[in-house]
Amino acid sequence: MVRILIFLLLGAAIGIWYVWSFYDIQFVYDSFQNMFFKFSIIIVAFFTFLVIFRYIAFIFFSIIKTAQKTASFNLVNKNFKPRVTIILPAYNEEVTIATSIKSLVHQTYKNLEIIIMDDGSKDNTYKIAKKFEGNFNGKTIKVLTKKNGGKSRALNFAIERSSGEFIMCVDADSKLEPDAVALMVKYFQDPEISAVAGSVFVSNRDNILTKLQALEYIEGLNMVRNGQAFLKLVNIIPGPIGMFRKSDILEVGGYAHDTFAEDADLTLKLIQKNRKIDFEPEAVAYTEAPDELLDLLKQRYRWTRGILQAIRKHSHHLFSFKNFNFTFVLWYMLFEAIFWPFMDLFATMLMIYISVSQGVNTLLIFWWSLFLVVDIAGALYCILITNETKSLAFYAFFYRLYFIAIINMAKIFATIEEWFQLEMSWGKLDRKGGI
Amino acid sequence: MNFIAFLSFSVLVIIILTLVFGVVAYFLYKMRERQRRKGSDVITYEELREEEGRKYLFIDEVNLK
Repeated sequence: MVRILIFLLLGAAIGIWYVWSFYDIQFVYDSFQNMFFKFSIIIVAFFTFLVIFRYIAFIFFSIIKTAQKTASFNLVNKNFKPRVTIILPAYNEEVTIATSIKSLVHQTYKNLEIIIMDDGSKDNTYKIAKKFEGNFNGKTIKVLTKKNGGKSRALNFAIERSSGEFIMCVDADSKLEPDAVALMVKYFQDPEISAVAGSVFVSNRDNILTKLQALEYIEGLNMVRNGQAFLKLVNIIPGPIGMFRKSDILEVGGYAHDTFAEDADLTLKLIQKNRKIDFEPEAVAYTEAPDELLDLLKQRYRWTRGILQAIRKHSHHLFSFKNFNFTFVLWYMLFEAIFWPFMDLFATMLMIYISVSQGVNTLLIFWWSLFLVVDIAGALYCILITNETKSLAFYAFFYRLYFIAIINMAKIFATIEEWFQLEMSWGKLDRKGGI
Repeated sequence: MNFIAFLSFSVLVIIILTLVFGVVAYFLYKMRERQRRKGSDVITYEELREEEGRKYLFIDEVNLK
């Protein structure tokens, strides 16, 4: 009873704060005579509303999805044990490959084939992987190698040579929890499910940058995917942990070679075929996050350009609402990748202008606090449901002010370069073995 | 200056600094990548031989100058 009362009071306080903030926006709006600034304030207020609405909707959907999952737990057929193939593509991954393979070998799921796909590494990746070849606890481990041709080609090469009915793709810099396969395979009892994503957590929390990414992974990625899973429309199956129905991958032509976000492209192709994509929050993979700012920018630059390339491939569906789900997902991805980063920058410039022209205005602190409130609420919710370290909530204060602002700059520059079709390379990160 | 105005001013300063820092960091990243790419232009004899698909490579004395 006391908890409910606290939540209600907290909700009421947040509500009052929001009304007050929008009242302040109204005040600033009235103080401008210039139509351009009036219009700008309306646009910023609208986008702020959209972002906050999106955030609250995902928290809400995520809560319902968690409740649904708990309710349907007993309906699972325990005799459903199909053959699963795990594919681990690797290029110059000698630092992390052994840890990653060991985490696959220790999976509790028995009917398993593991393919280590060396993509023409120049280091000892193939030699290290080869030591694991053979049979382990009833699991078959194969090590294949081919001339370097990129991740998508390596994955397709291994898929063609797999024996499993379901394919699980993992990254060589990730480590799986032992029950990951067993938890994910259950979803495929529903014949309409094409793919299932798992949760990704940051393993190397050594500095403020990796701690901010740890918060981002649980709040901005895992919680969002849990919310999307309520609609069975998870838009990106993460590289470190994703399981697919093999027949569906083959039907859409496998991984494409023409984007730098082959996982996003494959998921889009499946959604286009009206297939369902789900999420299992308890199937966990730990990944090594970039621990230096320039490496983080490199990673986000590649993600943004890759996602834009995937959207561009399907851009003719943006205005055709024949497949509403697909069009909705494309617009959502555009909003995340382009609209919001540009709007964020535009809003910031507007705030700076207002502050310089009218003196420091309280609108700025209200505007920033609107996001801070949802960031902290989202962080607390995610920490509670994932049993994460509570100290991560503290980083929510810096999350938007520093982290998102810098990430958005990388997204903006990546968008501009993609627009002008500037040449880019894969941008592989140097591993430090932090998994 | 009241407390909220002070907070607004602090946030404003942090935002401006972060934006400048973000732009500088991005160009530093691009510069680093350019330098790395220049460094990776070096190719070993074996790699070149594999690329050319020949057993031996003959290098003219002129090209070495």
